[in-house]
Amino acid sequence: MDLSTAYDALGADLQATLSLWLIVLGGLIVIVWDAFRERDALIPVFAGLILVGAIVWDLFQLTAEPATAFYGLIRTGGFAAFVNLLLEVSALCTIVLSVPYLKRIGKDYAEVYGLVLFAVSGMMLLGAANNLVTIFVGLETMSICLYIMAGLVREDEGGIESALKYFLLGAFSTGFFLYGIALLFGSTGSMYLAEIGHAASTSTSAMYWSGVGLLLVGFLFKVSAVPFHMWTPDVYQGAPTTLTGFMSTASKAAAFASLILVLFYAVPYEKWTLAVAVIATITMVLGNLVALSQRNVKRMLAYSSIAHAGYVLVGIVAGSAEGYAGALYYLLVYTLMNIGAFGVLALMEWDNESGRTQSLDSLAGMGYTRPFIGVAMGVFMFSLSGFPPFGGFLGKYAVFAPAIKAGYTWLVVVGVIASMVSAYYYLRVLYVLWMKDSTDPAAMSNDKRVALTVPASSTAVIGFCAVLLLVFGVYPEFLQMAVDFFSPSAVSIAP
Amino acid sequence: MNIDSLVLLAIALPLMGAAFNGLVGLFAPGYRSNKTLIGTLGTLCVAIPFAIGVLLFIQFDHDAHITRAFTWMSAGDFTADFGYRVDQLSLLMMLIVTGVGALIHIYSIGYMRDDPGFWKFFAYLNLFIFAMLNLVLGDNLLVLFLGWEGVGLCSYLLIGFWFTDLKNSEAANKAFIVNRIGDFAFLLAMFILFKDLGSLDFDVILAGGASLAPATINWVVFLLFIGATGKSAQIPLFVWLPDAMAGPTPVSALIHAATMVTSGLYLLARMSSLVLLAPGVMTFIAIIGALTAIMAATIAITQNDIKRVLAYSTVSQLGFMFMAAGVGAFFVAIFHVMTHAFFKGCLFLGSGSVIHGMHEVEHQLEEEGHEVHLDPQDMRTMGGLRKYMPATSITYLISTLAIAGFPLMSGFFSKDEILFKAFEYGYSGNGYAWFVWVVGIITALLTAFYMMRSYVLTFRGKERWPNADRIHPHESPASMTGPLWALAVLAIVGGFLGLPGVIAHGDLNWIHHWLGAPYGGPVAEAVVAEHEASFIVVEWILLILGGVIALVGLGYAWRVYNRDGIEFDQKLAIDFRGLYTTWANKYYWDEGYDKAVVKPVLGLARRVMDPFDRYIVDGLVNGLGSMVRAFSSLFKYLQTGVVQNYAVAILFGVVLLLGLIIFG
Amino acid sequence: MTPQFLFFCLAIVAITAALGMLIARSPVSSALWLILNLFCVAGLYLTMNAQFLAVVQVLVYAGAIMVLFLFVIMLLNVAALPSVRDIDWRLGVGFVLGVALLAQLSYAIASSTDLMPAEVSLESTVATGSVEVVAKELFTRFAMPLEMIGVLLLAATIGAVLLARRVSPK
Repeated sequence: MDLSTAYDALGADLQATLSLWLIVLGGLIVIVWDAFRERDALIPVFAGLILVGAIVWDLFQLTAEPATAFYGLIRTGGFAAFVNLLLEVSALCTIVLSVPYLKRIGKDYAEVYGLVLFAVSGMMLLGAANNLVTIFVGLETMSICLYIMAGLVREDEGGIESALKYFLLGAFSTGFFLYGIALLFGSTGSMYLAEIGHAASTSTSAMYWSGVGLLLVGFLFKVSAVPFHMWTPDVYQGAPTTLTGFMSTASKAAAFASLILVLFYAVPYEKWTLAVAVIATITMVLGNLVALSQRNVKRMLAYSSIAHAGYVLVGIVAGSAEGYAGALYYLLVYTLMNIGAFGVLALMEWDNESGRTQSLDSLAGMGYTRPFIGVAMGVFMFSLSGFPPFGGFLGKYAVFAPAIKAGYTWLVVVGVIASMVSAYYYLRVLYVLWMKDSTDPAAMSNDKRVALTVPASSTAVIGFCAVLLLVFGVYPEFLQMAVDFFSPSAVSIAP
Repeated sequence: MNIDSLVLLAIALPLMGAAFNGLVGLFAPGYRSNKTLIGTLGTLCVAIPFAIGVLLFIQFDHDAHITRAFTWMSAGDFTADFGYRVDQLSLLMMLIVTGVGALIHIYSIGYMRDDPGFWKFFAYLNLFIFAMLNLVLGDNLLVLFLGWEGVGLCSYLLIGFWFTDLKNSEAANKAFIVNRIGDFAFLLAMFILFKDLGSLDFDVILAGGASLAPATINWVVFLLFIGATGKSAQIPLFVWLPDAMAGPTPVSALIHAATMVTSGLYLLARMSSLVLLAPGVMTFIAIIGALTAIMAATIAITQNDIKRVLAYSTVSQLGFMFMAAGVGAFFVAIFHVMTHAFFKGCLFLGSGSVIHGMHEVEHQLEEEGHEVHLDPQDMRTMGGLRKYMPATSITYLISTLAIAGFPLMSGFFSKDEILFKAFEYGYSGNGYAWFVWVVGIITALLTAFYMMRSYVLTFRGKERWPNADRIHPHESPASMTGPLWALAVLAIVGGFLGLPGVIAHGDLNWIHHWLGAPYGGPVAEAVVAEHEASFIVVEWILLILGGVIALVGLGYAWRVYNRDGIEFDQKLAIDFRGLYTTWANKYYWDEGYDKAVVKPVLGLARRVMDPFDRYIVDGLVNGLGSMVRAFSSLFKYLQTGVVQNYAVAILFGVVLLLGLIIFG
Repeated sequence: MTPQFLFFCLAIVAITAALGMLIARSPVSSALWLILNLFCVAGLYLTMNAQFLAVVQVLVYAGAIMVLFLFVIMLLNVAALPSVRDIDWRLGVGFVLGVALLAQLSYAIASSTDLMPAEVSLESTVATGSVEVVAKELFTRFAMPLEMIGVLLLAATIGAVLLARRVSPK
């Protein structure tokens, strides 16, 4: 190999994936910085600025032509930029929300921000992967960071226990995932998605399909589809609330993006649809039904996020450009509404015994004492239940309509029934927030509520999410854009 | 100003009003006490759209005008525009919504004056008007659905307006959830239409409808009808409406009588040419309508809460409208929607005025230190109010006569037209229409009876509240009686817009000429056989029969309730025994639903799904006995057993997935 | 035939060792069984001419990681588990599912591959497993994932420190 051309290629590759390296570099600087000046207040600001820079860069990349970098290991261009943006926005919101929250619970370690950045870099690798090796490295980088975040709160609520469970089960599912990669390589002789797809288009064997199945297991575990979901409620409940928001959105978005890439490029549209449809069905049904009986808001949102994974799977089952685009769009609005909802929860959670129980009653009457937050929570809950004109409605439409077209009407029927059921528990939150008197004996006493300060930065992030949800519910430009990612010209990109 | 901007202004104004009153009220508590300002603003934001509606109405030149606000979404080959359609049907609905809406806004200024949530109330009301305008003006099913969900939401907010009472929020939840079932069917219908036609625009649907497979049409119409039964409170989804009376009375008048509940009819009328292609489903619609009408009427006889009588009466009248739709006379259904908006709006506002007065009595009793618990809505503690509230009494009587079908009042014409259409349709060889007709006649008799009962029990006879010799209510303020008079006048004259066929061979039936497809309107109708000249005799007989029925029902109730007062109910109970108990218990619908649906679902959620939780809780208790000190104690958690359970679940998933993929 | 004979010998020992690790109730013997298993796998690599991989396997897994395991076990003085007395439902269900999965995968692999492939000459495989070839691939084509693995390990290290340093409660 000629070194001079290698450097040329390296320059172009680095430029095409600049946001990824910016974030990695940012993470490294944060770690070193913290080593010299522990808990410097400027560290989260710096991490945020890094993300802002990455966001700006990726905004310009949205219209770039699809291509690959680093020997075809990673994709660049519109799709990658879309996914990256989603992840970066999620991380940015998380960091802004986390600063006051972590301080309040006494866990304001600057390493957390470094870990968020590292996690995002792993997710970006995962969400834009073009090769099974990239997928695996990205997946593991992301997972390691998430395990640590899940275990950050040690003293109460069994955070460390859930983190350990998460870690063990994650390792379990990674085993399946790796075996799947091996089987795929064994049956097609390549690690590149497009080459695998090319080999599979002529003939497929049972070994190939087993590989696909085991790969799916790994992804479905990460997106917490039933029956791979059982770690989710524990982990979401045990982790610091703002980081739960991050886990429930960014990691799912990255895993789904990667799953879409794998299915789109490497797997012919046939046998897997039924299996995924079945998983989607039980995910939607079980997620929503169990959420009904939760008294703890964080657990309820955890089950709700399980159910939402089911909706995204419906779009994926459709297997068409519209379906994949719908799934991506759903992830976008889902990220906004979940980050927002967890952000609100984080604000309303005050650090004493009863506050962290996060029972529904602890929210009673908050709508009138903090109207802005109450209104924003209203937007998030309505959007989560798929109420027009919020983004959630459009997102559901975007995943359901292609599935109907693909002949999966029964699946959509299940989905619509499930989302009807979900309206019950989402509205219960609003009911408690607005229609229950704060002087209820069960509710928190008023002096504690007054002591709770709402930082302007958190308000800004929550407002930002709520406004974007309204905008995306009315102007779905991104949906149209996402459809183009799966146009025939995108398929022809060789590794 | 051109039509486009007028339409957009009419739609935007209520939204702006809602946003202003809601947001300023929420964030600036000082604003909340400016009740006159809030009320005036709220009313203006409905009155101006009404004026715009009148203007559009005058300028209308028989061609539907479509306003495209902007493209809502476009994905792949699917686009949905925020388009609004101004044609005969939507204009009429718009006039009803904004006209009656404006009157009820004015009324609310007086009725809600002492309520601390005044600002919120007006914000919600304006939001409702906005959603309702989207519903009736939308040019495609998606915008219609947007409005459909919006009015459902506002209804939820307003039913639960006095949320401190748990019963009210339960009623709100019930309304919302029952409506979601209907919405679900509506969504499915939309999906099917989109799948087969590729568009949800009314033009495309109505033009392309005929090309669909008959089975598809049947399904679509059936699902749309199920959607309509949710919103318009028909069997089996009517159960929410009586409970919805928990909301403030102006809400009951506006949403649960005049406008929102009729949106199901609007939907069917809008889709009329499609509905006519599904005669089987039409049979179903007519029979459901008839059964609902008579069922609700019999329940209404047994109710003592004045608002519940009116609620069941609404359900019953909606049943009448569906009867009309089921025999293909959609324009008559809309006609009845309109007259019903007038007289039922007036009745509800009148009942509100009465409740207002009875509150005053309750208040005075409390001041005197009596430990009485007076239910201000219970007719058993009313009576004789005529003396104290003359305006309320007269307007209530007028509307009672109108709804009962007293000759020449509005209800007489619209109800008679429905019965006549049913008769005519049966005459043309559709057997089920005879059944509908007979049920309609009986229901009309019952309607006259129970409405007069409510009037007599409320306004005539002796005062039945405690200490009636010293304490009595007063007439409501002019801001409340004004709208009452306006609606009462409309209840008298509104019927002349649809004079029956016996007069000038139907040439003076304005509403038919305005809406009907034969005259270029948007509402299709069923074709019936030509009649011979002598048929006019039958028409006269039917018209007179209708009048006689009303007079008999009214007269009988007038006589027995003036004579026996409230005791006559006991006589009814004895005479009808089991039947009466069934009516009084509302045919046990709520109990049935509770047993068949609510309990099993919640039971499933709690009993079957919760073991996961209990494992986890157990794990927490066992595992957190002592606190973690170092890495070493991590090992302890591996022995709680929970992880193994999870791993088994994952293994199950792997086997399932592989099985489905390899062998599926 | 030699490679195939070796393969089956090593495979059988490897599986036995893996089972032994699962069944052993004392942590120390469990760890020793695992070492045996890792050695067998290294041997399998050797039969495929992947010398570098085989050496790394022994050095890293059988050497460094297992020593660490044993250290932890001894330091914590983990007692042997009590012998299994009753079989609870989890064990039963897990066993059945495991057998089902094994059957599925065996079917998949058996139906898709030639179970007795023609022998490949040693010369052709020598080139693929050498340090030189592995290094070249690792530092050109897979340089980017390699760098990311650096990030991964850094994150894991930080995480370990973060989780371990809060020994005393506030």
